Amino acid sequence: MLDKVCWRIVVSLRKPIVALENPSLTEAERLVKEALAQHKALILVGNCWVDYRGRASSRLEPGERIVMIKDDGSVLVHRSGGYEPVNWQPPGCVFNTLVVDGALQVRAVRRQPREAVHVYFDRVYLASALSLVDRGEFSLYASEEDMHRAVLAEPSLFEAGFKPISYEKKVEHGFVDVYGVDKEGRFVVVEIKRKTAGREAALQLARYVEAIRSTVNREVRGVLAAPSIAKGMQRLLTSLGLEYKALDPKKCAEILRRTKTKKLAEYF
Amino acid sequence: MITSISILVDEATYDITPDGMKLRAMDPSRVAMVDFEWPKTVFDEYACDAPTKMCLNITELLKLLKRAGKDEAVELSLDEKTGRLQVTISGKYTRTFNMPTLEAAEEEVPTPKLAFNAKIKATTQGLREAIEDAALVSDHVRIEVDPEKLVLHATGDLMGANIELKKGSDALLDLEVKETVKATFSLSYLNEIIKTAAATSDIATLEFSTDMPIKLDFQQPKEGKLTFYLAPRIEVE
Repeated sequence: MLDKVCWRIVVSLRKPIVALENPSLTEAERLVKEALAQHKALILVGNCWVDYRGRASSRLEPGERIVMIKDDGSVLVHRSGGYEPVNWQPPGCVFNTLVVDGALQVRAVRRQPREAVHVYFDRVYLASALSLVDRGEFSLYASEEDMHRAVLAEPSLFEAGFKPISYEKKVEHGFVDVYGVDKEGRFVVVEIKRKTAGREAALQLARYVEAIRSTVNREVRGVLAAPSIAKGMQRLLTSLGLEYKALDPKKCAEILRRTKTKKLAEYF
Repeated sequence: MITSISILVDEATYDITPDGMKLRAMDPSRVAMVDFEWPKTVFDEYACDAPTKMCLNITELLKLLKRAGKDEAVELSLDEKTGRLQVTISGKYTRTFNMPTLEAAEEEVPTPKLAFNAKIKATTQGLREAIEDAALVSDHVRIEVDPEKLVLHATGDLMGANIELKKGSDALLDLEVKETVKATFSLSYLNEIIKTAAATSDIATLEFSTDMPIKLDFQQPKEGKLTFYLAPRIEVE
């Protein structure tokens, strides 16, 4: 509790952002140096060119870009389009900032293997030092394929007593996600959807069930497993003789996360 | 031998001394490590005046060495001035290749500090087959050892396997167990390690403890050492 109170005080005293609009190169230099010394994150927007030397070498001609230096010492140079940076450095870089010949130079050097990214600005539009608090956990929810694997690893996730026989089973019109037997011995065709299941998924499942029914003389259930179903879908499913079962991608991800491989370095 | 190293690393640095050559390297994902030694007695001829390091692209070297036939002699010589390794294969005819050496990494790989509660001596062939059995059904295997037997459990998406090597069987030569131990390992690593090491060794010694890395030592026909360490997979709740 006290911890929480103290934390609030720290947060309220903190200035999350200091921003300079169109600073001179020396003003920008001062801000960059201070921010780097205090391990703050930085955003620089301006006209710059970039040299990289290390395992390879590259040269990025002058242009207007966004340069991010994060509080762990990683560097990203972004152009105005594309999700990937054009130049980057991993965490733990050593920095050197100086103004020479009318340009603000930020050098980021990685020691092992030796690699250096030099960014030169002749104009800075925005220089911003950021003290950001981020303690949220990142949860990656499973992909559709992960959901298949989770159901195979832990069939009770889907239904008590369910026994999978096969997955990605080929049928006339495509592939059945998971195929198995329920506790009463009926065949179960499971169609898994990562998102809200719609009409298309139901019709696809109906085709698969039909295809399997024609080859076996046992009762065949068709089940749509998804986090939720679209409005009015329940009626369609009922009329097609199919069922819906809620399957949470997050739970699937947890099942799969239960094992991990250790690193040898933990034993040195 | 070099094949065994190549399954873990593409590039590796050999420590070359007047007594022989050594290499220790970890794979890029840092799950497995190889520890290799060839004393000079392994070679027909061996000359080294001063200790040096030689970093090579193992995959490339292997391509050259594979050209040597059964009764052919291979000579490796490092020209320190040009930094190139010369590989001469002579027999039916003579060919000389040369390849660049790379900048040696400074990183020293330490030996994992481990205490082992179980020690198993088995034929490499027997182990190899057991691992191949397990690999049919899963990508990982739980190894359990008690005073009587070694058991491999593999559980895959659909199938499972249980493989038993009893004390006194042809495959299992010796078993020293302080307490029952079990640990789970990746089969892709185990399979590759044992498959390639089987070409150089008939007898393997495995040592491990519950949920700890496994040490796999492959006894060499002449002097020399080929040892692997592999980190376990653990269940996390």
